Amino acid sequence: MDPSGIFPTSYRTDRRVVRTRWQAIALAVFMGLLLAAPYLASGRIIAVLNMMLISAVIAVGLQICTGYAGQINLGQAAFMGVGAYTASILASKTGMSFLLTIPLAGFAAALFGFLFGLTAARIKGFYLALTTIAAQFLFHFAVLNLPSSWMGGSNGITVPPAELFGFRIVGETSQFYMNLAVATIMIAGAFGIIRSRFGRAFVAVRDDDVAAGIMGINVAATKANAFLIGAFYAGVGGALWAYLIRFVGVDQFTLFNSIFFIAMIIVGGMGSIVGALVGVFVIRVIQEVIATVGPNIADSVSFLGGDIVFAGMNVILGGVIAGSMILEPKGLMHRWNILKSSFRIWPFPY
Amino acid sequence: MTAAPLAVRNATLKFGGVTALDDVSITVNDDELLAIIGPNGAGKTSLLNVTAGFYRPQKGSVELSGKDVTGQRVDQIARHGLARTFQGTHLFAGQTVVENIMIGRHMLMKSNVVQAFFQYGTVMREESEHREAAEEIIDFLEIEAIRNRPVGTLGYGLRKRVDLGRALAQEPSILLMDEPMAGMNSEEKEDLARFILDVREARKIPVVLVEHDMGVVMDLADRIVVLDFGRVIAEGTPEEIQKDPAVIKAYLG
Ligand SMILES: Nc1ncnc2c1ncn2[C@@H]1O[C@H](COP(=O)(O)OP(=O)(O)OP(=O)(O)O)[C@@H](O)[C@H]1O
Ligand SMILES: [Mg+2]
Repeated sequence: MDPSGIFPTSYRTDRRVVRTRWQAIALAVFMGLLLAAPYLASGRIIAVLNMMLISAVIAVGLQICTGYAGQINLGQAAFMGVGAYTASILASKTGMSFLLTIPLAGFAAALFGFLFGLTAARIKGFYLALTTIAAQFLFHFAVLNLPSSWMGGSNGITVPPAELFGFRIVGETSQFYMNLAVATIMIAGAFGIIRSRFGRAFVAVRDDDVAAGIMGINVAATKANAFLIGAFYAGVGGALWAYLIRFVGVDQFTLFNSIFFIAMIIVGGMGSIVGALVGVFVIRVIQEVIATVGPNIADSVSFLGGDIVFAGMNVILGGVIAGSMILEPKGLMHRWNILKSSFRIWPFPY
Repeated sequence: MTAAPLAVRNATLKFGGVTALDDVSITVNDDELLAIIGPNGAGKTSLLNVTAGFYRPQKGSVELSGKDVTGQRVDQIARHGLARTFQGTHLFAGQTVVENIMIGRHMLMKSNVVQAFFQYGTVMREESEHREAAEEIIDFLEIEAIRNRPVGTLGYGLRKRVDLGRALAQEPSILLMDEPMAGMNSEEKEDLARFILDVREARKIPVVLVEHDMGVVMDLADRIVVLDFGRVIAEGTPEEIQKDPAVIKAYLG
């Protein structure tokens, strides 16, 4: 909602993503800070930011599929894995540039996602959740059982560094700029999609598929496309992951990771791109804190053993998800929007 | 001579042992308002559902402007120019009035997903054009003041108006309305009746109206089809129907 007394002067301004000068300034400052981050922050923080940027791409894709189109998806990590493996195989076997491997990774994941999306046309809710979990198992099964010369089997695949005009993108800082560039394109594209007729079609199918049909929306195709787009984002994120870690292994893409992505969009708020980004930030910070604090606890209370970090991570994140669903079921973005609109129109009723 | 906007021919629809429609034929002509009346369970909604593609009739066919659409999916039939409003409402309750009406424009818009991703400018230009059409409908239905309200917060009368607006946004060549007046007070009924007449007169869209309120039906309809137990028992102008002994028997008997 606009501040009191400000009315959109055209349909175009009414639909803009950035609507006020203050929003534009805030966005510019935020992007400026991100661009300058490698000069302002420690290497550790840049490493965390790299993880956040990659997660952001994947969570935004999941937001489109689950938050906007309402299609439960517990296979996002598998789709990420398909992208990561596609990029790794292409880069290590053909020496193809990352400018090609990243989009191809997206398309490979999109194809895989689309196949699961086709089943979404027929089943809903719990059964769909189960089917998307099958994506996880199918992915693991394929990697571990296909000849290891194809997918590396249980040994994984080592990935050569990304290269642009002879410059090797290695080290957290140059990788940070690569991730930032790709994430910016993907997030801007997500705003474009959700503000177009496709975004409306997704919401229509989510809210009332009978009415969506009578609007001329092909419900089955729209659901499948939601998976396709969501998986494309996961594939692109997976490719970035492959270039960041320079190694892919099947246990990097588990059901737990899928659940973390779901946690991100739940905590941030379903049906909001910015919400997905907020969720990524919150969950990644919590994960980082646990990863830092956990081993110390495990050391000092030795009878707990080393598994405490992983177990603790899941318990605490589970608590965060449950807590946010109880206290803030519509996510942090929803709370923010309420605060913002009551502040903006103050002291007038509208 | 052009083909009728809508022709249902010899439609038979059975649910197990229940015959909801028994060899029903209706034709709707250009600019005509055809009312369908009948006691509860007569098969009125079933006839609309068969027409709109929700159910496939066991026998018979549905033609839109001379084109056989029997057995096609709901969204395909919508793209052939059929719009409908529901008994009750099927609006997108969390979305605003404008957003609901813009969803009606979906099938008339052409941008693809790659353009949506990369070409924000092009897509927003198309968006503005269709927004203008949506605003024209909002003016027509006199709902300017609530255009940015979520539909779920509106009263029933306004919701039915938005429902009509969303259907009109599809620029249909035939509009089906299932008991739009049910649950309205007389003022709301009068408003909606006025808009329905305008749809037919100013917008030249033929309308099939299912309605229980006889006063409304007699005022609005050019022609009336009476269903009872899934069969057409009478057909004619409001004057003819009022005098028809079979109709009087079905309603009183
Ligand atoms: N999905 C269905 N499954 C089984 N029977 C149905 C179904 N839909 C309708 N029927 C039956 O078909 C008959 C016609 O129902 P329909 O809803 O078309 O009547 P109607 O004329 O719209 O009635 P009302 O005025 O109450 O809305 C009824 O006997 C009804 O019970
Ligand atoms: Mg009915």
